[in-house]
Amino acid sequence: MSLDSLGARLADYLESTWQAPVAIESIEQISGGASRETYRVRLLVDGRERRVILRRDPPTSLIDTERSLEYRTYVAAHRAGFPVPEPLLLEEDTHVLERPFSLMEEIAGCESALAMFSQPPFEAVKARIAERKWTLMGQLAAMSIDDLDVAEFMAVPEHPALHELEYWSGVIHADALHPQPVAAAAIRWLHRNLPPPSSRRSLVHGDFRSGNFLFNTAGDIPAVLDWEMAHIGDPLEDLAWSLDPLWGWPERHLAGGLLPRDRAIAIWEQASRMKVDRSVFRWWQVFASLKALAIWISSTEDFANGTSKEPILAVAGWLMTDRENRILVDRLHPATTHRYTEALVGATGSKATGP
Amino acid sequence: MIPRPDKALTDIAVKLAMSIAPQIGASYHAANAGMISMLLLALAQDADRAVANRLADVEELKALFERALADPQAPGADRLRAFCESEPPGWLLSQLSVWHDTGMALLIELHVWAESQHPELDRSIWDFLYHHTERNRFDV
Repeated sequence: MSLDSLGARLADYLESTWQAPVAIESIEQISGGASRETYRVRLLVDGRERRVILRRDPPTSLIDTERSLEYRTYVAAHRAGFPVPEPLLLEEDTHVLERPFSLMEEIAGCESALAMFSQPPFEAVKARIAERKWTLMGQLAAMSIDDLDVAEFMAVPEHPALHELEYWSGVIHADALHPQPVAAAAIRWLHRNLPPPSSRRSLVHGDFRSGNFLFNTAGDIPAVLDWEMAHIGDPLEDLAWSLDPLWGWPERHLAGGLLPRDRAIAIWEQASRMKVDRSVFRWWQVFASLKALAIWISSTEDFANGTSKEPILAVAGWLMTDRENRILVDRLHPATTHRYTEALVGATGSKATGP
Repeated sequence: MIPRPDKALTDIAVKLAMSIAPQIGASYHAANAGMISMLLLALAQDADRAVANRLADVEELKALFERALADPQAPGADRLRAFCESEPPGWLLSQLSVWHDTGMALLIELHVWAESQHPELDRSIWDFLYHHTERNRFDV
């Protein structure tokens, strides 16, 4: 479907849904969100300009996700006052735009790319962006899943760590096109070192990293994006994921390209009012690297065997798979030199429990 | 014929990133051009080294398997021995990759055993995984 046709069909649909005249001023595909096709749309609704983001299911994507779960998570987060774009509608009828889609308000005047952290004017507010990022992550961890009302549409796992490990090791087993000795060793390590079930259950974003939030020149974060992997789980999962060296590459010794990992953990602890048990946290860090590797392996399979030939799938299949394998070897080699990762052992503390 | 395909691919990648992508108006397509340029750079690196890397991996795998075969408890001894005695099925990269995959699958089985029964071999397998990932790394 051409861009013009997509816009025309969207306008017809919105006129009918909103019961008001709708015209498309412009529609442009943008790179945001690797798991959905994303478009920036400027509408005229009853003569007034309205800027929205259209997210349409692709033929295949990096992550196989449930769109209604993602949309309902946006609704829950927005209702709770957590910074996300306002969700406007979800349409799963494929007759409208050939594939399901959702619409949300655009938050203008922001950036999301990691590369912008080191460029003016954002370089000057980098420390504030970092503070906001891990504060928001800690606040999300501290929110009650009952207050968020997410258990209504999300499973509450008895053992979050085991649940996640089984899911992502299943993805690797299903999608690997070649033997994966590093992933296999990591999966065995994770089973051998499985922590006891955490006492705390939180809403886990699932992909809370640099690149998945909007920031502005004031150093604020007006919105956290891409909730397609959201689930109920252990609050340490998001923290560990955010610290994976991949998300700061090539400045891999800075968490998310922003600041030292210990500082990020301290900000998170203050905001969440939880203490990080470093021995349990090591498990979640190894798991984070395995989960990322699972996504890259799955992307490789999608690119090789699927209908989509999006370059990002091939980038994941080659470059990201390579980097994550190196990170995992660095994490698990008995005599690691920590070329890519920080030393993980030594510190101890109380378990991550609620206030 | 261009004598150095790796250099040619690098030149094309730079041309795409520096001259063509900036002229693309739509940001989504410009970003895709940037990613394709990165992929070309990765392909350029692999073009020259891929055969040598598969062979180096297989040589190290055979050395690990020979060590394991010295232990009568090693699992899958017949298959390990057969792999050690095998020759390259051909010199196409696709043929070498299939051979390489066979060795890597055997390595996974051996690693499970070594973790609990043979700490020195376990350490050597981790050394191999380090060498394997580093020699195949993409610097892009």
